[in-house]
Amino acid sequence: MKKRTITLGLLYSRTGTYSLITEACRIGVMQAIAEVNADPDYDMCFRTIERDPGGNADAYGALCEELLQEDDVRHVFGCVTSWSRKEVIPVLEKTGGTLWYSVPYEGFEASDRVVYGHACPNQHLLPLMDWVFGQVGKRGYLTGSNYIWGWEMNRLAREVILARGGEVLGERYLPLGRVDVERVIEEIRVTRPNFVLNSLIGPSQYAFLEAYAALGREDPHFTAATCPVLSCNLTECELPAIPAGCTEGLVAAGPYFRGETGWPKAVTEFGSSHEAASWAAVHNLARLLNGIDDSEKMSLAELLEGPAAAQTGIDPVNHHKSLPSLIAQVENDRFVTRARYARRAGDPYLANGRDVGQPQSARLKVVK
Amino acid sequence: MTRQVQSLNLGGATAWILHRPHATVQSLSRQLGAIGLRVESAWPEPTADILAADFVFFDADMGYDEQFPWDRGHNPMPLIALIGSEAPGRIEWALSAGADAQLLKPIGDGGVYSALLIARATFGARQSLLAEVSHLNTRLNARQTVVQAVTLLVARGQSEKQAYEQLRQMAMAWRVTLEVAAERIVVSRAAGAPDICQGGGTDD
Repeated sequence: MKKRTITLGLLYSRTGTYSLITEACRIGVMQAIAEVNADPDYDMCFRTIERDPGGNADAYGALCEELLQEDDVRHVFGCVTSWSRKEVIPVLEKTGGTLWYSVPYEGFEASDRVVYGHACPNQHLLPLMDWVFGQVGKRGYLTGSNYIWGWEMNRLAREVILARGGEVLGERYLPLGRVDVERVIEEIRVTRPNFVLNSLIGPSQYAFLEAYAALGREDPHFTAATCPVLSCNLTECELPAIPAGCTEGLVAAGPYFRGETGWPKAVTEFGSSHEAASWAAVHNLARLLNGIDDSEKMSLAELLEGPAAAQTGIDPVNHHKSLPSLIAQVENDRFVTRARYARRAGDPYLANGRDVGQPQSARLKVVK
Repeated sequence: MTRQVQSLNLGGATAWILHRPHATVQSLSRQLGAIGLRVESAWPEPTADILAADFVFFDADMGYDEQFPWDRGHNPMPLIALIGSEAPGRIEWALSAGADAQLLKPIGDGGVYSALLIARATFGARQSLLAEVSHLNTRLNARQTVVQAVTLLVARGQSEKQAYEQLRQMAMAWRVTLEVAAERIVVSRAAGAPDICQGGGTDD
């Protein structure tokens, strides 16, 4: 098939505190682009133009506008925080561009200009809460970074915990980038919860996990069997930043963990769900564009009316991906799947309630 | 009064849009659909089904009172005004029509979810205030009756304080409000009925 060239924009901060996540996303995007370019069944070649906001949230809007207007790009892959995504959406609206966003987020958004390719709370937090309630109990301590991700995750967790008759023993936030976790650790030590929901990001999370591991050496209650640490945002890509052993027993929810099967046509296994979701996003776009004249000029809404849309798993109304919900636990520095909840459509406004169903093939043991 | 914004239960709710066919209706419908609501639209006047709506969006630019099948200010669900022209006259009309929240036109990619939650919270707060006012008015109107009842009890040879206490005890025994108890006493005396103050009355 004769190939046309379509330019994609990349808007990733390759420096700053998110660079590990950014690199994981970028690796997935680049690998998929190479595959599409080499695949004779696709009638396009992708080339990329990159802009690097350098970790400065305020730079995203202007740089995205450059990509969309000066470089005539229609599809941008990028942003790894809700803050930067929200900066970019008005620009997308103005210019008719599309953002492919492939990291977990807190839900309550459904822009006509964004494809949400990673999990939202009905795909990560709700299955995770369900699993942990059955394993260790319903008395939780909530901590998180002091911005929208932490706030919304903890708000929903509180709602679910109380609705199921559990108890919230404490809730504390750390400003972005701060590593003074002593007070959080002290409150956990005193309240002795059944689990700690940790929605900290970046260095705050690394410092917390290190301090919590130390607490577990002092008092064995604070280890995975009796009080696991939970996360909806930690993946393999950040493990190298955390001292060895400090994540042991951590339980995470996500659509993919390294070594999982079931993702279509994976040439190699992915390093993390960030990489997998970004890889899938590029392939989804290629499918939507393929075989349609001038499809590179069409809006996302128009592309999602096309014949290939149903195969992508992208909901044509809310633009969230249908994804598996896996619960995995760190064992010898890699994630091991403990439970699988059925693949589910993204439900960003929780319109279908809070019920997550039963895990499918669960190996229900908590390993120390 | 605390206002707790509940994110629960928007899924499956029905929203009506009273607006002429327009891009506004499309953008609004898309957002409502993504949030999980069912959408109906009509212009200018809706069918009676609108009475079952959970939310109604109305056009503040071209709307008029007769569009709504309820008396002005007695909307049975939260209303959200779609405002294009921010002229004071139209805003005044939107408010008098009972707007609980507003969205500015053109409707873009956001704003609907917060308008829904704010409208529902405002509507709920107003409903409970109205219920409170109605309750207080009932009690206010019964003041004279309470005075009459106490006077009747005083006439039986007790102090005002004792009479009031007896009235309170009777209300508790009958499990009714003080005002209802007072009314029973006054009515029974006026009708020349047997002295209900002796018998303890009934639970009804």
